[in-house]
Amino acid sequence: MNRAPILFLGVFFALAFSFVGLVLTNQLTYGSFSTHVDEDEGKAFPQALPGLAAQGKLVYQDLGCVTCHTQQVRREGFGSDIGEGSRGWGERQSVARDYLREERVLLGSQRIGPDLRNLAARKNAAGVEITADWLYGYLFDPKLVSVDSNMPRYAFLFKTQKIVGEPSAKALKLPAPYAPAAGHEIVPTARGEALVAYLLSLKDTYAYPETKNVYTPPAPKESAVEEKKEGAK
Amino acid sequence: MATDSSLNTELTPERPGPQPAEASVVDASLRTALVALTGSALVWLLVASVLAIIASWKLHTPAFMDACEYVTYGRIQPAQTNAFIFGWGFNAAFAVALWLMARLSRGSLPGSGVLLIGVIFWNAGVTLGIGGILLGFSTSLEGLELPGFATPILLVAYALIAAWSLVVFRSGRSREIYASQWYVFAALFWFPWLYAVAQVMLVFSPVRGTVQSVVHAWFTTNLFLLWFGSIALAAIYYFLPKLLLKPVSNYYLSSLGFWWLAIFGSWAGIARLIGGPVPAWVQTVGAAASFMLLVPLVIFGLNFFGTFSGRWSVLKESLTLRFVAFGVVALMFVLLGWVLNALHGVAAITQFTYVTAAETQLGLYGFFSMVVFGALYYIVPRVLNTAWASAPLAGVHFAASAAGVVLLVGSLLIGGVNQGLALADAGVPFAEVTKATQPYLFSASVALVILAIGQLAFALNFFWTLGRASADCVRSAKTLLSTQPEAAR
Repeated sequence: MNRAPILFLGVFFALAFSFVGLVLTNQLTYGSFSTHVDEDEGKAFPQALPGLAAQGKLVYQDLGCVTCHTQQVRREGFGSDIGEGSRGWGERQSVARDYLREERVLLGSQRIGPDLRNLAARKNAAGVEITADWLYGYLFDPKLVSVDSNMPRYAFLFKTQKIVGEPSAKALKLPAPYAPAAGHEIVPTARGEALVAYLLSLKDTYAYPETKNVYTPPAPKESAVEEKKEGAK
Repeated sequence: MATDSSLNTELTPERPGPQPAEASVVDASLRTALVALTGSALVWLLVASVLAIIASWKLHTPAFMDACEYVTYGRIQPAQTNAFIFGWGFNAAFAVALWLMARLSRGSLPGSGVLLIGVIFWNAGVTLGIGGILLGFSTSLEGLELPGFATPILLVAYALIAAWSLVVFRSGRSREIYASQWYVFAALFWFPWLYAVAQVMLVFSPVRGTVQSVVHAWFTTNLFLLWFGSIALAAIYYFLPKLLLKPVSNYYLSSLGFWWLAIFGSWAGIARLIGGPVPAWVQTVGAAASFMLLVPLVIFGLNFFGTFSGRWSVLKESLTLRFVAFGVVALMFVLLGWVLNALHGVAAITQFTYVTAAETQLGLYGFFSMVVFGALYYIVPRVLNTAWASAPLAGVHFAASAAGVVLLVGSLLIGGVNQGLALADAGVPFAEVTKATQPYLFSASVALVILAIGQLAFALNFFWTLGRASADCVRSAKTLLSTQPEAAR
């Protein structure tokens, strides 16, 4: 008895089942999901990354940052990403539309470091807004900013150069043991600048209609305007 | 391995075995191909091992080699995973799949020229890809980091290699199709489908938004379950009855296990997106499918432990069987882990922690690699027609691998659970969470060193055996190539 053709058909349909059910169905149902046009603001959300930040995303990819950092905020009550008494990694949970403009979606699968999805809208451990200078310092040597940090140094994103004329505005302000020789300064390379621009673009603060439908127990937020006020507090 | 060299006859349960002469003709026809595949697999295994130790060391000592961009953790870790999966895993899987298919179908390999070209291209593609990752061309898609310029080479090379397994399957004289053959046949067909879909939908023409994440989860988990899992299961179904000298118990259930795993198991991996920005039904379906893995879990348990029962003493005599038994136990835990991680309460803690790393290691090392090691201990002496050069080295390999896997998975699991509990408690500062995992990461590094010692013993033993057999091997390979039409008939 030769059952090879039957075996082949079975093997084909077995994988076809999950291919159609998961891959094709999702592609057909929300693969053409569109941006949300906010008529009040006259903009379509999510917005495209500015040029330098888009370059920075490529640096983020090539250095493999996704190996240690996720970019997805889970809903309230699932882990302690957001909500009362949480790590405050976002103002709301991440939804599919947040990733619409991303050519490569970097959800990540490890939180060896903290989630970065909403980095630019958060405050650091000391309660200070995250700025480019703070990020430059962190990348240059994380121990400068957080003694217990387990992140490696990304000193190769910086270069030491001789001060010609005025010192560069981007030069790192470093404490004594790190400071460069007199007459020299440490500035970020083009890649370093792009990466920091990308990190500063990471904020999902716009509230889409669907983010209001998800289960969020107390204190419902009405609009992005209110959230902005809160961020400014 | 000298201990089971008397078992050179084929004793699969479903039919009377062929004459020993026939098996040796089949083995001889595979010699060149299997030496090339096993040799390259072992080289990659050692490369992956070195990369793994460096990467692991960086986790608890971030200052280690941090001045060099090319070995930053974000590059060396993906390079390690890909070297392990595509370098060691695939070459070894090809070797085992080809041999199983040839033996069970009783078909000889009609010449190995094209296959060797495939092997060369495969390894060239992997080398190019790993180099690409270290130089910064990674796609940053877990498990698919090999850059787009390397992957088409892999698909072409795959076709050149896999086709020969189908050739021996179709040219063979056996009319029955045994469980091992279903798995090998299916795996060979499934992988290119999974890989081509993933490459097109994620790398070459990316789909929109988090549809990517669905495709990605579908690919990575099925790469493990439907490719590595299938090849290892094929080996288990082959070696258990053969070495225990009794049929697979409850064999009638094995076809249900196969189809269940293929039809529902291929949906299960999506459960890792629980809580993520994908449609809720996707997460629910994934969880349901993960629970359905309990059926194959029970079937494999009945098949494998049922076959072992009453014959545990054979474990002492057969090294192959010890490796396979370790793999069977690991498989049970892997499937159980999938089921547990699909529970919302569990996922909320274990998601994004070292628990997932422990699961991957248990699956790829504890299950797949251990079974394949066992298979190679049986296959290599038959294909080279000589005994293993050193029994102590083989013993070291097993002891180091078993201890290393237990220590590695144990450290990552306990460390990961602690990490998850601490992460879930927002009162614990993030830096404290990292600090608390350090001792576990250190013991994981120690485990990787132990594993590397075992792998080194295996590689030494293989190349030593190969060296001893090489004079014969070269001669007979030449004879074989010149007389292959007769040998093939």
